[in-house]
Amino acid sequence: MALSGMRGLSVFISDIRNCPNKEQERLRVDKELGNIRTRFKNEKVHVVPTLRRNAPIKDDKDEDLLHLLIVGLEGLTPYEKKKYVWKMLYIYMLGYDVDFGHMEAVSLISAPKYPEKQVGYIVTSCLLNENHDFLRLAINAVRNDIIGRNETFQCLALTLVGNIGGRDFAESLALDVQKLLISSSCRPLVRKKAALCLLRLFRKNPDVVNVDGWSDRMAQLLDERDLGVLTSSMSLLVALVSNDHDSYWSCLPKCVKILERLARNQDVPQEYTYYGIPSPWLQVKTMRALQYFPTIEDPNTRRSLFEVLQRILMGTDVVKNVNKNNASHAVLFEALALKSVSHGNQYVPGLAFIFFDRGNQYVPSLVMHLDAEKEMMSQCVALLGKFIAVREPNIRYLGLENMSRMLMVTDVLDIIKRHQAQIITSLKDPDISIRRRALDLLYGMCDVSNAKDIVEELLQYLSTADFAMREELALKAAILAEKFAPDLSWYVDVILQLIDKAGDFVSDDIWFRVVQFVTNNEDLQFVTNNEDLQPYAAVKAREYLDKPAIHETVVKVSAYILGEYSHLLARRPGCSPKEIFSIIHEKLPTVSTSTIAILLSTYAKILMHTQPPDLELQNQIWAIFSKYEGCIDVEIQQRAVEYFALSRKGAALSDILAEMPKFPERQSALIKKAEDTEADAAEQSAIKLRAQQQTSNALVVTDQRPANGTPPVTQLSLVKMPSMSNVDHNPAEQGVSQANGTLSVVDPQPSRPSDDNIGDLLVPLAIEGPPGSATLSGHSPVFGFGGAPNAEDALAIAPVEEQTNTVQPIGNIAERFHALCLKDSGVLYEDPYIQIGIKAEWRVHQGRLVLFLGNKNTAPLVSVQALILPPSHLKMELSLVPETIPPRAQVQCPLEVVNLRPSRDVAVLDFSYKFGTNVNVKLRLPAILNKFFQPITVSAEEFFPQWRSLSGPPLKLQEVVRGVRSMSLVEMANLFNSFRLMVCPGLDPNTNNLIASTTFYSESTRAMLCLVRIETDPADRTQLRMTVASGDPTLTFELKEFIKEQLISIPTASRAPSPVSLQAQPAEPPQPLPTSSPAALSDPGAMLAGLL
Amino acid sequence: MDFGYPQNLSPEILKLYITQEGVRSPFSSKPADKPVPNATLQVTGAVGWRREGLVYKKNEVFLDIVESVNLLMSSKGSVLRCDVTGKVLMKCFLSGMPDLKLGLNDKIGLEKESQLKSRPAKSGKTIELDDVTFHQCVNLTRFNAEKTVSFVPPDGEFELMKYRITEGVNLPFRVLPTIKELGRTRMEVNVKVKSVFGAKMFALGVVVKIPVPKQTAKTSFQVTSGRAKYNASIDCLVWKIRKFPGQTEPTLSAEVELISTIAEKKSWTRPPIQMEFQVPMFTASGLRVRFLKVWEKSGYNTVEWVRYITKAGSYEIRC
Repeated sequence: MALSGMRGLSVFISDIRNCPNKEQERLRVDKELGNIRTRFKNEKVHVVPTLRRNAPIKDDKDEDLLHLLIVGLEGLTPYEKKKYVWKMLYIYMLGYDVDFGHMEAVSLISAPKYPEKQVGYIVTSCLLNENHDFLRLAINAVRNDIIGRNETFQCLALTLVGNIGGRDFAESLALDVQKLLISSSCRPLVRKKAALCLLRLFRKNPDVVNVDGWSDRMAQLLDERDLGVLTSSMSLLVALVSNDHDSYWSCLPKCVKILERLARNQDVPQEYTYYGIPSPWLQVKTMRALQYFPTIEDPNTRRSLFEVLQRILMGTDVVKNVNKNNASHAVLFEALALKSVSHGNQYVPGLAFIFFDRGNQYVPSLVMHLDAEKEMMSQCVALLGKFIAVREPNIRYLGLENMSRMLMVTDVLDIIKRHQAQIITSLKDPDISIRRRALDLLYGMCDVSNAKDIVEELLQYLSTADFAMREELALKAAILAEKFAPDLSWYVDVILQLIDKAGDFVSDDIWFRVVQFVTNNEDLQFVTNNEDLQPYAAVKAREYLDKPAIHETVVKVSAYILGEYSHLLARRPGCSPKEIFSIIHEKLPTVSTSTIAILLSTYAKILMHTQPPDLELQNQIWAIFSKYEGCIDVEIQQRAVEYFALSRKGAALSDILAEMPKFPERQSALIKKAEDTEADAAEQSAIKLRAQQQTSNALVVTDQRPANGTPPVTQLSLVKMPSMSNVDHNPAEQGVSQANGTLSVVDPQPSRPSDDNIGDLLVPLAIEGPPGSATLSGHSPVFGFGGAPNAEDALAIAPVEEQTNTVQPIGNIAERFHALCLKDSGVLYEDPYIQIGIKAEWRVHQGRLVLFLGNKNTAPLVSVQALILPPSHLKMELSLVPETIPPRAQVQCPLEVVNLRPSRDVAVLDFSYKFGTNVNVKLRLPAILNKFFQPITVSAEEFFPQWRSLSGPPLKLQEVVRGVRSMSLVEMANLFNSFRLMVCPGLDPNTNNLIASTTFYSESTRAMLCLVRIETDPADRTQLRMTVASGDPTLTFELKEFIKEQLISIPTASRAPSPVSLQAQPAEPPQPLPTSSPAALSDPGAMLAGLL
Repeated sequence: MDFGYPQNLSPEILKLYITQEGVRSPFSSKPADKPVPNATLQVTGAVGWRREGLVYKKNEVFLDIVESVNLLMSSKGSVLRCDVTGKVLMKCFLSGMPDLKLGLNDKIGLEKESQLKSRPAKSGKTIELDDVTFHQCVNLTRFNAEKTVSFVPPDGEFELMKYRITEGVNLPFRVLPTIKELGRTRMEVNVKVKSVFGAKMFALGVVVKIPVPKQTAKTSFQVTSGRAKYNASIDCLVWKIRKFPGQTEPTLSAEVELISTIAEKKSWTRPPIQMEFQVPMFTASGLRVRFLKVWEKSGYNTVEWVRYITKAGSYEIRC
């Protein structure tokens, strides 16, 4: 080091080191900084004036300033300059701010001698960061050094550029660095540095490497004989390729060649051989670079690559020497990675993990790439199998780790399974990290065939396992048991056993899942022994309760299951309600509050199931309830009070405490949780991937529920929904929510609490208890008639109800409605007492309607009610309607409409008032499909590409419509325009054809272009062919049907109550286009709408 | 000790019972002739802080009044905060059990006196003392009744009383700084210090610390007395004057050159100028000892020595 001989510096450093405390150190540093400031300032003061006289004026301001500085510092001897700048660096490294003297440091860069240059470079790279203005001053000097001939200076400059690597540097120096890298006259030393420097610049600023020119040069670089340069270049290549692999195809064969050369140990100098392995680093890097390329197509390259990999596989073995092992294994794992990545034929960059194992060696190991032959894969696995059999823990760890990575590749599972015993042994390893790996691997490799063994193994292991691992272990065992259960009773056994053994480590999710499982599988056919699952579970639970010391979770599960199903085994010995009660009650004093709550529910249920009622038991249970009525825990208190009250009511009890309904099926919370924990652990993703693949079959068992009449769970839950909401919920709204559902029959059976979350088990049942029928019976009779039978007949309501009214409307309601479909304001309804006007504004998918309720009388109208029954595709909000309308007054009620998706269903206003008699009308609101159109004119250039791009059903639908109201082409165009379908004349060469376009807005589709083409037959005006196209299949269909409705003339007299199929009505020949008929048939609403 | 509870914790008395003598040889000729101190008398006696039977050849009393001035002055010369904390320190070498009486020119004492003697208070300054605390030897009942400080002093050195004064402080020095920043790299500092105490008195060890920015590189001074230099470790110009006579006003003018830095140019927050000094025979409060009477049974003559000194506490002037 150049430090020798600088006494001032060493004195300063020793002073600092001798400082007894921080304060003194600071004083010393401040003193020194003052000294340095004085020295730097002194020189400038003396020299700069002399300089000003003869300083040449240059164009480049920076250069000038720099020059000035150099001259300015010349007053200091080189020794002093160095000394002070070193001191500055030292002070800076001690953590003090050094905010001056950077110019001096920068100026030293251009000094002629090595020691000064060196200190200049070092201090500059330490003190300045890449965004610093002073760096601009240095660029020129650095550049001079780079293009200069002195290679030590070149190295210094390259190091600086690499270390700082800012934008300015990248822009102005990248070219020079590149030249240096490919120049043949440079020594390898310089070229190595140049490659790394360029890599650094590239990372900072990917633009510096011009892809077009550089890929060829990069390929040339790979021909280099010197391994050092090659290693550096390979680092650069890896970075380049990871960014953009397409441009560097030409490098691929070269990479393979390099590998070949290394593998065959040709032309590898002794100094690059590490324990007999030719440059493992270069091998690893090359293979990593290869991983970024998709599969290799060229058969020759491919073959040679395989050869190399084969050689690596064969050549690797476990030996005594640690270093050699590390080197060879690094290469091996990289090779494995290469293979399997390509095997999966997927582009998996960045799956490289470098982990730090206890031997303090970095062993890069990768996931795999080439489409290797099966035998090769099995060779790999065999090798890994050898690894996991080794005593050395590091190697075993690596073996397990890589095996679980191999799992990502399909069809190695069978081979891995051969090592199952060995892996299970690893589970007993003293080293916890190996145990974890083994657990992961077992979890990953488990499938139906070996699930039973593995899960049993895990259960056994659970009792001896480390506490830190138990939770994970329990979770994994539970998931595996669920996923691959050969039968359900086995599953229940396993989980109960698991809960019994692991107790504290079983999260709530696991036992929730068991309950969910048992509840949902009451009548499965394939349960062993033809025994139903629920009684089986109940028996099991009973058995567990007999054990002397059991875990609280077991109590919870058992209590829950016995509460639900104990009546199924009432006949068996020892299972009478009383006995079950007493055995559960024994546990009560020992459990926590949450469990007490469950126990209370259980008691209530036992009580309910006891037929004939057992007075003694009843008294006992009541005593418990009344004891807990004063409990400090609100949950328990509430349950106790409610159950007590309910159990006195008798009959209601059995309704409310009936068996739990099935839970809606959803992704197992366990699997979710496992995924979460895996994400947390930042573990590699093999297991996760598998878990994702198998979420679908995770639920296989439960999906096989017979569909004989019982509605699917999801729909059931829909029915129950209203009863879960508050009791004072508006009955009409409930009706609506039912009507909008897909359900055809309102379930008359008493409502049961339908928790859609299994966690809600803990919610008191009584709150959700009001039977659904009670709320339904509270409906207005009219609604009960209109709303209940069918969801789709909202349209039908209007005519039906009209006839029952005693007050005759003025004018035809249907005509008024049709008129309003075309206009935005007008009268919707009028009778002798009231007139309802409407005014609408539409903006994209939203609308604002104002209802004007005008009282025509001299007496007030009372009990005015207006309810909106919106179809599912509209979101409507009506502001409050006053209950009375004063005489001769008009009330305005704004109504907000949001269109969610395309549909032709119509919103209905249920309006009633009282004037002498009750008057109730149902009115269709003109918030229909065409209101959400925005007319748009398209030119021919725009139209045809769009038209062609929307090809074929379901985006483009064609239909021949017959029975069309006869109208002229102009009339029809006017009709279309009034529907905001803009007719574009002249687009179709045939004058008998019409082309119209519009934009449809809804929340789901956003703006959507719709195109319509009508081909008419001049000879027969009653039929035409219509083609509708849009970007959304439902929109296309709905629009088509909508236009059809408008075109077909419907005699108003034929308002028959019986729905007549559209095809049959015009008594025309059968539809030539069968595509539309199924849809029309399945859509009664469409048929009815057609009739109206 | 009473039921295990210590009754007397005065260190003077406890010291008596801690005997640190070596093991006396049984063959030593001299028997232990030291009288065993009478513990009971000490503990129950009226004067716990003084041993009996002290004899000095020369009976002397030394009395020092030490004051320190705390000042914060704005750049415009207005006093923002000013107070004086003073101590009366005594050193007694008196025989027997003397009774002392101290008279100061403080307000309460003088008023009392004038009442007693039923004549108008002497013209002259009276000082109002705040927060007076006395040593335990001062007879507080007599202070309350007669407003005189009378006491039986402990032997040797002790702090008789402490006080604080916030009004009517005589500042010993006035500082008139002018600091100009000329551009980014130069500063001009002019400081004039004026001593406002009597011309016959003088201050000792006067130090004026004038803060300068951190990036100070070079300084040049011109002073009319004393010496000045730049101290980089505290970022101050330090001007030292060893002997500073009263009613003079030496000046310092300095040129400071700053080095340019890369740090963001934020304006320098000027810390206040600090001063250190000692002025003997001067009290910032104007307190004087009017009399110190010693009364003892034997009626010996005593020599009384009185000294005054004023020091700087935190004496700061903003600039």
